[in-house]
Amino acid sequence: MTDYYREYLAVAVLIGAGLAMVGGMLGLGKLIRPTRPQPQKYVTYEAGSDPVGGWGQSNVRYYVYALLFVMFDVEAVFIFPWAVRLETLGVQSLISMIVFIVILALGLVYAWRKGVLRWA
Amino acid sequence: MNPGWDFHAIAPVIIITATIVAVLIADFFFEYRGRFRTQQIASLGVLAAMIPIITLAVDGGTREMFNGGFVVDPYSLVFQGFFLAAAYISMLLSVDYIGDGDYYQGEFYVLLLTSVLGMLVMSSARDLISIFVALETISIPTFVLAGWRKHDPKSNEAAIKYYLIGVMSSAVMLYGMSLVFGLTGSTLLSEIADKVRTLDSPLLIVAGFLTIAGFAFKVSAVPFHFWAPDTYEGAPTPVTAFLSVASKVGGFVALLSVVWFGFSPNSAMFQPVLWGLAAASLILGNLVALRQTNIVRMLAYSSIAQGGFILVPFAVASDGGAWTSSIQSVVIYTLIYGAMNLGAFAIVIALARRTRSAEITSFAGLGQYAPGMAIVMSMFLFSLAGVPPFAGWFAKFTMFRAALDANTPAATVLAALAAVSSVIAFFYYARVAREMWFHQPPEGADVHPIRTPVALNAAVVICAAIVIAVGVYPQLFARLGDLAAGG
Repeated sequence: MTDYYREYLAVAVLIGAGLAMVGGMLGLGKLIRPTRPQPQKYVTYEAGSDPVGGWGQSNVRYYVYALLFVMFDVEAVFIFPWAVRLETLGVQSLISMIVFIVILALGLVYAWRKGVLRWA
Repeated sequence: MNPGWDFHAIAPVIIITATIVAVLIADFFFEYRGRFRTQQIASLGVLAAMIPIITLAVDGGTREMFNGGFVVDPYSLVFQGFFLAAAYISMLLSVDYIGDGDYYQGEFYVLLLTSVLGMLVMSSARDLISIFVALETISIPTFVLAGWRKHDPKSNEAAIKYYLIGVMSSAVMLYGMSLVFGLTGSTLLSEIADKVRTLDSPLLIVAGFLTIAGFAFKVSAVPFHFWAPDTYEGAPTPVTAFLSVASKVGGFVALLSVVWFGFSPNSAMFQPVLWGLAAASLILGNLVALRQTNIVRMLAYSSIAQGGFILVPFAVASDGGAWTSSIQSVVIYTLIYGAMNLGAFAIVIALARRTRSAEITSFAGLGQYAPGMAIVMSMFLFSLAGVPPFAGWFAKFTMFRAALDANTPAATVLAALAAVSSVIAFFYYARVAREMWFHQPPEGADVHPIRTPVALNAAVVICAAIVIAVGVYPQLFARLGDLAAGG
């Protein structure tokens, strides 16, 4: 019975090691770094601009294109390995891939129908 | 290398996928006023997906695909049937709520069905990777659904909390799964089971612990529960009903598959962790529920506590040959829990249409001006508390039977804890009933009889029929439990 639960020591060791690693590194950093506080240093870091109130550098409309890009990206990830092995995989895999691409393309049709593609 | 396709076995999954595509396309072409059609297509698709499940059940046997990574057997069919039924009832609850808001209807059903698709795959998945993908397919649409009321900060808070916790739990779970794979060299649950039987490594315990901790977030077991009350309160109530039943049971199915098909030969990997989770969920869930004034938060803590009851059989499963009764208990408990919890949420939604409030005090005097609703609500509450002749008693009965079958000190302690906490639970369920029957409606409240939409009524009637039928004649679900456990 005690042996049974003693195995859970490994879990305790893992959690302890995790805490010690984070605490150790942060603590060590705090010990050896110089501290010269300035108000600017306490502002939340956001790529050089003010985090609240300042105008952003990029247009929010690019966000939609980034999302749509993911769609084609995923498609490519699956198409390349599939294309390499197409001859051995046969007709069945061709049909599978067509179904896959059609379903993914629906996402593009969705964006188009909802007027997301218009640069207005 | 070329896997043979068994189209009959994957027919439910294909039908739901086709329905998702159909709803999306319909949403493009119907005008604003015709959008309610998307709901009809979605409901029809869910009902159509029931058909192959019935034919597969009649056909019997076990169908394996993808080298045993996708299996259709009675175990998966019982859960697939449950998920489709829960999805259908959730849609009945959503129709008027989403329709009244009158925007993004098509997307709502697409996301809901995508989550259901994940659940169907989850029931059949017997491979760590497919289980992970299925779990993410369940979770990701629900992150969006939780934030459906875009202009309500609480709904946004619910979505963000749920999303962050969901991502974190996936990371923890994946870490555990990667350790399992590293130690056993396989992602297939049956091969993992072979390996853990003989493998002796402390890392195995760490792997089991982390994997189960990830699932514990998904099923909101204490101490990984803190997101649940806030998310449940902020999300639209029909979505909360869906989260607390379908999505939560999805987590339990994943846990059951991994534990039963994968870890079962080495009980040290899961039993002590699940014992702790069950005990903590029972105590904390029930005690904190006592203090809630908001009915949705109360039901959230109640569902945490009910989750504790479902975890009890897990924690005793491998002692004294209790496997069969444990599996039966988990299956039966989740099925009954689904019916009674969806029913309770249906009434909360129906009443909130009138009072625009989710406080428990808004139930005051309901018995005077809407006796039908008050009777049904009391029934669901007493069923959740486990009072015969409502279905809840049978769920609790199977849970205690599993604990007694195990017959070890740890199991007995847990059973005693479960007994004490069901007594505590009775108090907060009964408090709502007292509010309905023994308190006067507040001054100036609208006390005309409440007219509920047809869809909501249908949902209440289905849930109430199950709760009574199973309570009076438990063999209905006992047979499903036997089938799932391979009896």
